[in-house]
Amino acid sequence: MKPRHDIRNHIRRHRLAVDGLTQQELADRVGVTRQTILSIEKGKYAPTIGLALQLARVFGVSVEELFQLEEGGDDV
Amino acid sequence: MSRLPKWFPWHPSPATLIATGVVILGVLLTEVSWWFLVLVGVGALGPGILRELGWLKDKDEFQRRAAQRAGYHAFLVAGFVAVLLTAYFRSGERQIKDPQSLADLFLVLLWCTWLFSSLFAYWGARRTATRILLIFGTFWLLFVVAECVGERTSPLGFIIHSLPAVPFFFLAFLGRRWPRVAGAILMAAAAFFIYFFGWYKVGASGMVNQTVTMILFIGPLLGSGVALLGARAEEPRTESA
Repeated sequence: MKPRHDIRNHIRRHRLAVDGLTQQELADRVGVTRQTILSIEKGKYAPTIGLALQLARVFGVSVEELFQLEEGGDDV
Repeated sequence: MSRLPKWFPWHPSPATLIATGVVILGVLLTEVSWWFLVLVGVGALGPGILRELGWLKDKDEFQRRAAQRAGYHAFLVAGFVAVLLTAYFRSGERQIKDPQSLADLFLVLLWCTWLFSSLFAYWGARRTATRILLIFGTFWLLFVVAECVGERTSPLGFIIHSLPAVPFFFLAFLGRRWPRVAGAILMAAAAFFIYFFGWYKVGASGMVNQTVTMILFIGPLLGSGVALLGARAEEPRTESA
Protein backbone atom coordinates (compact mmCIF):
# COMPACT_ATOMS: atom_id res chain seq x y z
CA MET A 1 0.00 0.00 0.00
CA LYS A 2 1.49 3.31 -1.04
CA PRO A 3 -1.01 6.11 -0.52
CA ARG A 4 -0.14 9.51 -1.91
CA HIS A 5 -1.47 12.77 -0.59
CA ASP A 6 -0.38 15.27 -3.21
CA ILE A 7 -2.83 18.11 -2.72
CA ARG A 8 -3.44 20.88 -5.20
CA ASN A 9 -4.96 24.06 -3.82
CA HIS A 10 -6.68 27.12 -5.24
CA ILE A 11 -6.16 29.48 -2.32
CA ARG A 12 -4.22 32.03 -4.36
CA ARG A 13 -6.88 32.26 -7.05
CA HIS A 14 -9.67 32.72 -4.52
CA ARG A 15 -7.59 35.18 -2.49
CA LEU A 16 -6.95 37.40 -5.49
CA ALA A 17 -10.60 37.18 -6.49
CA VAL A 18 -11.62 38.76 -3.15
CA ASP A 19 -10.51 42.36 -3.90
CA GLY A 20 -6.90 41.26 -4.18
CA LEU A 21 -6.75 40.10 -0.57
CA THR A 22 -3.11 39.99 0.55
CA GLN A 23 -1.57 36.96 2.22
CA GLN A 24 -1.24 38.96 5.45
CA GLU A 25 -4.91 39.98 5.38
CA LEU A 26 -6.01 36.41 4.80
CA ALA A 27 -3.66 35.23 7.56
CA ASP A 28 -5.18 37.77 9.97
CA ARG A 29 -8.70 36.62 9.11
CA VAL A 30 -7.99 32.98 9.93
CA GLY A 31 -5.57 33.65 12.80
CA VAL A 32 -2.29 32.33 11.39
CA THR A 33 0.96 33.88 10.17
CA ARG A 34 1.60 35.03 6.59
CA GLN A 35 4.26 32.31 6.39
CA THR A 36 1.55 29.68 6.87
CA ILE A 37 -0.58 31.05 4.02
CA LEU A 38 2.52 31.28 1.82
CA SER A 39 3.46 27.67 2.58
CA ILE A 40 -0.07 26.44 1.87
CA GLU A 41 -0.22 28.32 -1.44
CA LYS A 42 3.14 26.89 -2.47
CA GLY A 43 1.96 23.39 -1.66
CA LYS A 44 4.66 22.97 1.01
CA TYR A 45 2.17 22.55 3.81
CA ALA A 46 -1.23 20.85 3.96
CA PRO A 47 -3.38 22.61 6.56
CA THR A 48 -5.38 20.86 9.26
CA ILE A 49 -9.08 20.26 8.68
CA GLY A 50 -9.86 23.12 11.03
CA LEU A 51 -7.82 25.65 9.10
CA ALA A 52 -9.10 24.33 5.76
CA LEU A 53 -12.67 24.86 6.98
CA GLN A 54 -11.80 28.39 8.16
CA LEU A 55 -10.28 29.24 4.77
CA ALA A 56 -13.31 27.84 2.98
CA ARG A 57 -15.56 29.98 5.19
CA VAL A 58 -13.59 33.14 4.37
CA PHE A 59 -14.05 32.53 0.64
CA GLY A 60 -17.60 31.23 0.95
CA VAL A 61 -16.83 27.99 -0.85
CA SER A 62 -16.57 24.33 0.10
CA VAL A 63 -13.27 22.77 1.20
CA GLU A 64 -13.32 20.61 -1.95
CA GLU A 65 -13.27 23.76 -4.07
CA LEU A 66 -10.10 24.91 -2.31
CA PHE A 67 -8.23 21.62 -2.04
CA GLN A 68 -8.13 18.69 -4.44
CA LEU A 69 -6.12 15.52 -4.67
CA GLU A 70 -3.67 15.79 -7.54
CA GLU A 71 -4.17 13.56 -10.57
CA GLY A 72 -2.09 10.45 -10.12
CA GLY A 73 -2.74 10.42 -6.39
CA ASP A 74 -4.36 7.18 -5.19
CA ASP A 75 -7.70 7.28 -3.47
CA VAL A 76 -7.36 6.32 0.16
CA MET B 1 3.29 39.00 16.94
CA SER B 2 5.86 41.77 17.41
CA ARG B 3 5.47 45.24 15.93
CA LEU B 4 8.72 45.22 14.01
CA PRO B 5 8.63 46.85 10.52
CA LYS B 6 7.09 44.69 7.76
CA TRP B 7 10.32 44.67 5.74
CA PHE B 8 12.16 43.13 8.68
CA PRO B 9 12.51 39.40 7.97
CA TRP B 10 11.91 38.24 11.57
CA HIS B 11 8.60 38.74 13.37
CA PRO B 12 8.96 36.91 16.66
CA SER B 13 6.29 36.60 19.32
CA PRO B 14 6.94 38.41 22.65
CA ALA B 15 7.77 35.02 24.23
CA THR B 16 10.40 34.34 21.55
CA LEU B 17 11.88 37.83 22.03
CA ILE B 18 12.14 37.33 25.81
CA ALA B 19 13.64 33.85 25.30
CA THR B 20 16.21 35.28 22.87
CA GLY B 21 17.16 37.90 25.45
CA VAL B 22 17.57 35.20 28.11
CA VAL B 23 19.79 33.15 25.76
CA ILE B 24 22.03 36.16 24.98
CA LEU B 25 22.21 37.07 28.70
CA GLY B 26 23.13 33.48 29.53
CA VAL B 27 25.89 33.41 26.93
CA LEU B 28 27.34 36.70 28.20
CA LEU B 29 27.19 35.61 31.84
CA THR B 30 29.16 32.43 31.15
CA GLU B 31 32.16 34.76 31.40
CA VAL B 32 31.27 35.02 35.11
CA SER B 33 30.35 31.38 35.70
CA TRP B 34 29.52 28.41 33.50
CA TRP B 35 26.47 27.82 35.69
CA PHE B 36 24.80 30.65 33.75
CA LEU B 37 24.71 28.29 30.79
CA VAL B 38 21.53 27.01 32.41
CA LEU B 39 19.95 30.34 31.38
CA VAL B 40 20.74 29.48 27.74
CA GLY B 41 18.92 26.19 28.21
CA VAL B 42 15.94 27.93 29.81
CA GLY B 43 15.75 30.47 26.97
CA ALA B 44 16.29 27.97 24.16
CA LEU B 45 14.11 25.13 25.42
CA GLY B 46 11.72 26.77 27.90
CA PRO B 47 9.22 28.18 25.38
CA GLY B 48 9.06 24.83 23.59
CA ILE B 49 8.33 23.02 26.86
CA LEU B 50 5.60 25.54 27.72
CA ARG B 51 4.08 25.12 24.24
CA GLU B 52 4.03 21.35 24.58
CA LEU B 53 2.33 21.71 27.97
CA GLY B 54 -0.25 23.96 26.30
CA TRP B 55 0.57 26.94 28.54
CA LEU B 56 1.98 29.06 25.73
CA LYS B 57 0.01 29.45 22.51
CA ASP B 58 2.02 31.88 20.39
CA LYS B 59 2.61 29.65 17.35
CA ASP B 60 0.19 28.65 14.63
CA GLU B 61 -0.17 25.12 13.27
CA PHE B 62 2.47 25.49 10.54
CA GLN B 63 5.05 26.80 13.03
CA ARG B 64 4.25 24.03 15.51
CA ARG B 65 4.49 21.43 12.75
CA ALA B 66 7.86 22.83 11.59
CA ALA B 67 9.20 22.79 15.16
CA GLN B 68 7.98 19.23 15.74
CA ARG B 69 9.53 17.99 12.49
CA ALA B 70 12.80 19.74 13.33
CA GLY B 71 12.75 18.07 16.73
CA TYR B 72 12.21 14.67 15.10
CA HIS B 73 15.08 15.29 12.66
CA ALA B 74 17.32 16.25 15.59
CA PHE B 75 16.31 13.03 17.39
CA LEU B 76 17.10 10.92 14.30
CA VAL B 77 20.54 12.47 13.76
CA ALA B 78 21.55 12.54 17.44
CA GLY B 79 20.18 9.02 17.95
CA PHE B 80 22.12 7.64 15.02
CA VAL B 81 25.36 9.25 16.21
CA ALA B 82 24.72 7.94 19.74
CA VAL B 83 24.39 4.39 18.37
CA LEU B 84 27.59 4.77 16.34
CA LEU B 85 29.52 6.10 19.35
CA THR B 86 28.19 3.34 21.62
CA ALA B 87 29.27 0.72 19.08
CA TYR B 88 32.69 2.39 18.72
CA PHE B 89 33.44 2.63 22.43
CA ARG B 90 32.05 -0.80 23.35
CA SER B 91 33.83 -2.60 20.53
CA GLY B 92 37.27 -2.09 22.09
CA GLU B 93 39.25 -0.66 24.97
CA ARG B 94 38.50 2.90 23.95
CA GLN B 95 38.18 5.84 26.33
CA ILE B 96 36.88 9.34 25.80
CA LYS B 97 39.73 11.80 26.39
CA ASP B 98 37.43 14.61 27.45
CA PRO B 99 33.98 13.43 28.62
CA GLN B 100 32.70 17.03 28.61
CA SER B 101 33.21 17.14 24.85
CA LEU B 102 30.60 14.39 24.49
CA ALA B 103 27.94 16.71 25.91
CA ASP B 104 29.21 19.47 23.56
CA LEU B 105 28.89 17.09 20.62
CA PHE B 106 25.26 16.27 21.34
CA LEU B 107 24.37 19.91 22.00
CA VAL B 108 25.89 20.89 18.65
CA LEU B 109 24.22 17.98 16.85
CA LEU B 110 20.78 18.64 18.30
CA TRP B 111 20.99 22.40 17.87
CA CYS B 112 22.41 22.41 14.33
CA THR B 113 19.97 19.77 13.04
CA TRP B 114 17.01 21.54 14.62
CA LEU B 115 18.12 24.91 13.21
CA PHE B 116 18.71 23.58 9.69
CA SER B 117 15.43 21.71 9.60
CA SER B 118 13.53 24.78 10.82
CA LEU B 119 15.18 27.05 8.26
CA PHE B 120 14.42 24.61 5.45
CA ALA B 121 10.78 24.43 6.54
CA TYR B 122 10.42 28.22 6.53
CA TRP B 123 12.53 29.23 3.54
CA GLY B 124 12.78 26.10 1.40
CA ALA B 125 16.03 24.38 0.45
CA ARG B 126 17.26 26.80 -2.20
CA ARG B 127 16.80 30.01 -0.23
CA THR B 128 18.16 28.48 2.99
CA ALA B 129 21.28 27.18 1.25
CA THR B 130 21.84 30.56 -0.44
CA ARG B 131 21.51 32.47 2.83
CA ILE B 132 23.79 30.08 4.70
CA LEU B 133 26.46 30.58 2.03
CA LEU B 134 26.04 34.36 2.18
CA ILE B 135 26.36 34.27 5.99
CA PHE B 136 29.48 32.09 5.70
CA GLY B 137 31.06 34.48 3.17
CA THR B 138 30.12 37.56 5.21
CA PHE B 139 31.57 36.08 8.40
CA TRP B 140 34.81 35.35 6.58
CA LEU B 141 34.96 38.91 5.25
CA LEU B 142 34.29 40.39 8.71
CA PHE B 143 37.03 38.18 10.13
CA VAL B 144 39.45 39.37 7.43
CA VAL B 145 38.49 43.04 7.95
CA ALA B 146 39.06 42.73 11.71
CA GLU B 147 42.39 41.00 11.17
CA CYS B 148 43.60 43.46 8.50
CA VAL B 149 42.61 46.52 10.55
CA GLY B 150 44.44 45.12 13.57
CA GLU B 151 47.59 44.34 11.61
CA ARG B 152 47.38 47.41 9.31
CA THR B 153 47.50 45.20 6.20
CA SER B 154 47.86 46.86 2.77
CA PRO B 155 44.83 47.01 0.43
CA LEU B 156 46.42 44.31 -1.74
CA GLY B 157 46.89 42.08 1.32
CA PHE B 158 43.26 42.65 2.25
CA ILE B 159 42.13 41.56 -1.23
CA ILE B 160 44.29 38.43 -1.09
CA HIS B 161 42.99 37.53 2.39
CA SER B 162 39.40 38.08 1.21
CA LEU B 163 39.69 35.67 -1.71
CA PRO B 164 38.50 32.57 0.25
CA ALA B 165 35.14 34.33 0.74
CA VAL B 166 34.57 34.62 -3.01
CA PRO B 167 33.59 30.94 -3.56
CA PHE B 168 30.83 31.27 -0.95
CA PHE B 169 29.30 34.29 -2.70
CA PHE B 170 29.77 32.64 -6.08
CA LEU B 171 28.08 29.42 -4.89
CA ALA B 172 25.23 31.44 -3.38
CA PHE B 173 24.71 33.04 -6.80
CA LEU B 174 25.09 29.68 -8.57
CA GLY B 175 22.68 27.98 -6.15
CA ARG B 176 19.83 30.29 -7.16
CA ARG B 177 20.18 29.45 -10.84
CA TRP B 178 21.72 25.98 -10.98
CA PRO B 179 21.06 24.42 -7.57
CA ARG B 180 22.27 20.92 -8.49
CA VAL B 181 25.59 22.17 -9.86
CA ALA B 182 26.13 24.28 -6.72
CA GLY B 183 25.04 21.34 -4.55
CA ALA B 184 27.55 19.00 -6.19
CA ILE B 185 30.36 21.58 -5.81
CA LEU B 186 29.48 22.05 -2.11
CA MET B 187 29.58 18.29 -1.50
CA ALA B 188 32.94 18.10 -3.26
CA ALA B 189 34.20 21.08 -1.23
CA ALA B 190 33.10 19.40 2.02
CA ALA B 191 34.92 16.19 1.03
CA PHE B 192 38.01 18.24 0.12
CA PHE B 193 38.06 20.02 3.50
CA ILE B 194 37.72 16.68 5.34
CA TYR B 195 40.73 15.40 3.36
CA PHE B 196 42.69 18.69 3.58
CA PHE B 197 42.37 19.02 7.38
CA GLY B 198 42.87 15.27 7.89
CA TRP B 199 39.52 14.88 9.69
CA TYR B 200 39.13 11.35 8.35
CA LYS B 201 41.65 10.14 10.94
CA VAL B 202 41.51 10.71 14.69
CA GLY B 203 43.79 13.60 15.63
CA ALA B 204 45.38 14.80 18.87
CA SER B 205 42.20 16.58 19.99
CA GLY B 206 40.30 13.27 20.09
CA MET B 207 37.51 11.93 17.96
CA VAL B 208 34.63 13.67 19.73
CA ASN B 209 36.23 17.13 19.73
CA GLN B 210 37.19 16.65 16.11
CA THR B 211 33.60 15.71 15.22
CA VAL B 212 32.28 18.88 16.89
CA THR B 213 34.69 21.02 14.84
CA MET B 214 33.77 19.14 11.70
CA ILE B 215 30.02 19.59 12.27
CA LEU B 216 30.41 23.33 12.81
CA PHE B 217 32.70 23.81 9.81
CA ILE B 218 31.54 21.18 7.31
CA GLY B 219 27.91 20.83 8.48
CA PRO B 220 26.59 24.00 6.82
CA LEU B 221 28.38 23.18 3.55
CA LEU B 222 27.20 19.57 3.57
CA GLY B 223 23.65 20.51 4.61
CA SER B 224 23.42 23.19 1.92
CA GLY B 225 24.86 20.79 -0.67
CA VAL B 226 22.35 18.05 0.11
CA ALA B 227 19.50 20.58 0.14
CA LEU B 228 20.47 22.05 -3.21
CA LEU B 229 20.88 18.62 -4.79
CA GLY B 230 17.31 17.79 -3.77
CA ALA B 231 15.95 21.27 -4.46
CA ARG B 232 14.02 20.36 -7.60
CA ALA B 233 12.04 17.66 -5.80
CA GLU B 234 10.51 20.27 -3.52
CA GLU B 235 9.31 22.63 -6.27
CA PRO B 236 5.90 23.91 -5.27
CA ARG B 237 2.80 22.09 -6.52
CA THR B 238 0.46 24.99 -6.86
CA GLU B 239 -1.81 26.45 -9.47
CA SER B 240 -0.44 28.94 -11.94
CA ALA B 241 -3.13 31.55 -11.21
